[in-house]
Amino acid sequence: MQRTDVREDLIFKALADPSRRKIFEALTKGETAVTDLTARFHISQPAVSQHLGTLKEAGLVEGRREGRCVYYRVDPRGMKPLIDWVSHYRAFWSERVDRLEKLLEEMDE
Amino acid sequence: MKFDKTASGQTDAIAFEFDLTHSPQKVWRALTDARLLTEWLLPITQLKLEANADFKFQAPPQPGWDGVVNCKYLSIEPQKKLSWSWVVGDIDTIVTFTLTPIDAGTRLSLQQTGFKPHQKQNFGGARYGWNMMGEKLVALLERTA
Repeated sequence: MQRTDVREDLIFKALADPSRRKIFEALTKGETAVTDLTARFHISQPAVSQHLGTLKEAGLVEGRREGRCVYYRVDPRGMKPLIDWVSHYRAFWSERVDRLEKLLEEMDE
Repeated sequence: MKFDKTASGQTDAIAFEFDLTHSPQKVWRALTDARLLTEWLLPITQLKLEANADFKFQAPPQPGWDGVVNCKYLSIEPQKKLSWSWVVGDIDTIVTFTLTPIDAGTRLSLQQTGFKPHQKQNFGGARYGWNMMGEKLVALLERTA
């Protein structure tokens, strides 16, 4: 089990929202302009910007301005706590189920 | 035999399937008896097998975590399905065991998922909902790293 820290908490909260997950998944395919995201998801620009702000705060994405356009891309480092969390629990359950199998051998019918 | 079903899950972070050469009755006992749970899973401090009953697992404390896993039974279908919330700090998940009789004994599937929004109301709405993403996305991100 992994201890909870603020960072993980922000990531889980950021990905709790289905619209934000969609935006995030779109960004995993490559850097995208905010205007393109707005058009693709039929969400207003302020709403998209707010979602991006939450994702940015969680360390999942990073943005850059070029002229009048703002582009966002995934910050791969941001996913590390989540990947660690998943690997941790997969190893945990795998090991515990081995123990369960051993215990079942020892139990009476 | 052990099958990792995680890759096929779309929203489940963790999903396993195990074929056990033991009856569902026996597997159910191992999943519901405090002494047996303590032996294979984690030391359990209190257990009452009824819906909405709280219980706790006590893992060895670590820096930044007191080792407590706060749980609550969500669904109890004897010898078929057992699910409980698994809360460590602010991170809420659900652990679900499903038992299916097979010729050799029992197919046990195990999932750990995030809270789905419709389950939030059961917890007074005080907690946020989140849904773990699938391994697919995690793998995709590993490639972009």
